[in-house]
Amino acid sequence: MTILTHNQWSAISTRFYKLWVVTIADRHGWQLAVFITGALLVGALAMWMLMSVPTRFRKPIVMAVTFLGGLILALEFLISTDTWHPLTDFLPAYGNVQMVIGSFALLLGLVNLFMIHAEAVNKRTRGWINSFAFFVAFFAIMIAGFVKDYAAAKAVSGSADSIYTVFFEGFLMPLSSTMFSMIAFYIASAAYRAFRIRSTESALMMITASIIMLGLVPAGQYLTSGLPGWLYWLRLENVSYWLLTSPNMAVQRAMAFGIAVGALATGLRIWLSLERGSFFDRQL
Amino acid sequence: MDILIKLQKIDRRVIYALVIVVLMVPLLLQPKGHPKLVTPEVHHAFDVIDSVPKDKMVILSSFWGPSTESENGPQTAALMRHMLMKGIRFGIVSWDQAGSQITYNIGKSLEQELHRRYGVRYGVDWVHFGYKLQNEAALRGIGTDLPTTMEREKEGKLVSTLPVMRGIKDFHNIGAVVEITASGTLEGTMTYTTQPNGLKLLYCPTAVMSVEAYRYLDSGQVKGMLNSAVGAAQYETLIGMSNVTTQASVTTWTLSTAHIFIIVLILLGNLGYFASKKAARRQGGEASND
Repeated sequence: MTILTHNQWSAISTRFYKLWVVTIADRHGWQLAVFITGALLVGALAMWMLMSVPTRFRKPIVMAVTFLGGLILALEFLISTDTWHPLTDFLPAYGNVQMVIGSFALLLGLVNLFMIHAEAVNKRTRGWINSFAFFVAFFAIMIAGFVKDYAAAKAVSGSADSIYTVFFEGFLMPLSSTMFSMIAFYIASAAYRAFRIRSTESALMMITASIIMLGLVPAGQYLTSGLPGWLYWLRLENVSYWLLTSPNMAVQRAMAFGIAVGALATGLRIWLSLERGSFFDRQL
Repeated sequence: MDILIKLQKIDRRVIYALVIVVLMVPLLLQPKGHPKLVTPEVHHAFDVIDSVPKDKMVILSSFWGPSTESENGPQTAALMRHMLMKGIRFGIVSWDQAGSQITYNIGKSLEQELHRRYGVRYGVDWVHFGYKLQNEAALRGIGTDLPTTMEREKEGKLVSTLPVMRGIKDFHNIGAVVEITASGTLEGTMTYTTQPNGLKLLYCPTAVMSVEAYRYLDSGQVKGMLNSAVGAAQYETLIGMSNVTTQASVTTWTLSTAHIFIIVLILLGNLGYFASKKAARRQGGEASND
């Protein structure tokens, strides 16, 4: 039984979708400034109204919004794709809203970083020079990025792109790679000093790990390439492949079932605001 | 035996120095040998890409950054090269800021390399959708309305105006989705993009994450996999680059030396451990005799 016909649902969702499209349409110049100002004012008003809500109503509001937010995606996913339903048209808009909310999380992290490092510089705590370096690096690459985009928008060629490239490809990328590469040294040191075969299980783990490590790489494949044809199943790459596709796969599947059931239960509890700590263990 | 016990007290800086030497040798020699053996999952990945019709598009979902460039970079390059050589349209979306620039650079350098022979052009044969915030709705939007979800590409132009997006609207026009990742994002892509729409999914993880993917390969939810740089090197063998020095071939040989070195370290460490235990037991026996 349907409350409305397909055409009626389509008309309603199309009307709402058109309203959304008008809202997010491209704007320039004074229209963009007015739109941003209006959006900020609406946001500030909404925030003030939420802050003015009596304490005893805040938790129900948060629970209601959490439930509705999850309900949209859950219904859209669970209803069969063979049957048309109106929620699909709202997904791009919903995605944009999620991206904006995600941006707030970025801003929150940034504010937190600023507060921590500013305090370190202000009080000249131990290592404050690193906090100062954070501010220098932050503003340097931010300004370089803005100047680059401004130059690109104005189709002005110059050194803006080069400076940004030096910062991004010359500093950021190699430093990120370096941070991760240091793990190689710790692994080598741990392999030599800490990995000790003290039991049958650890011996089994070591032998299996060695077979898989060698079976993956060409050097390991060369080690057993001389085995005759009737012993092909003993070649490192074949033993490695069997280990990965048989016992490993079975164990991974069993673990995945357990994790999925646990994740489903936890997700349901979070969606229904039953999880302890949803409201930081105090009344909002 | 004494030497093994003495080696137990070796300064860790000596180990670090040996690591540098072991890793630097293949990086300096730049070997071009590619693996002759190609695993079934790489074969299947090749077959999936090779069979994508010309009127469909492949989506590369890239969730990696500079830290895993040595593994995910060759995978991205090998797949892009195959599609550009074959004339298969593809779009790449990056969920990592730095990774967005790296994948764009990879695409641009391949375009420069292949332009003369294959006439490859940005916006016509491939497009980079830029950095997007990772969220399930964006992933789902790829299957329901790709041009609206992606909106603008990396250079700022509207995606719907590009020739590469001609006739591409939703999952009906997507031939395959490739997840190139250094994080646990496979389940999200599978749940919201490929499974509901019946799209073929390929997986390109780092080596440590590949072991978790075999259950999906077995069930058919993932059609093929490129296992770190080794998988990329095997893929390059299939596209006829087995005698060319590439990042994949260099990385594969670096991995070879590194793996053998780690195993030798573990063996030496354990031999020294057993030797020192035996020596301690002997000393304890001599002391009790005294």
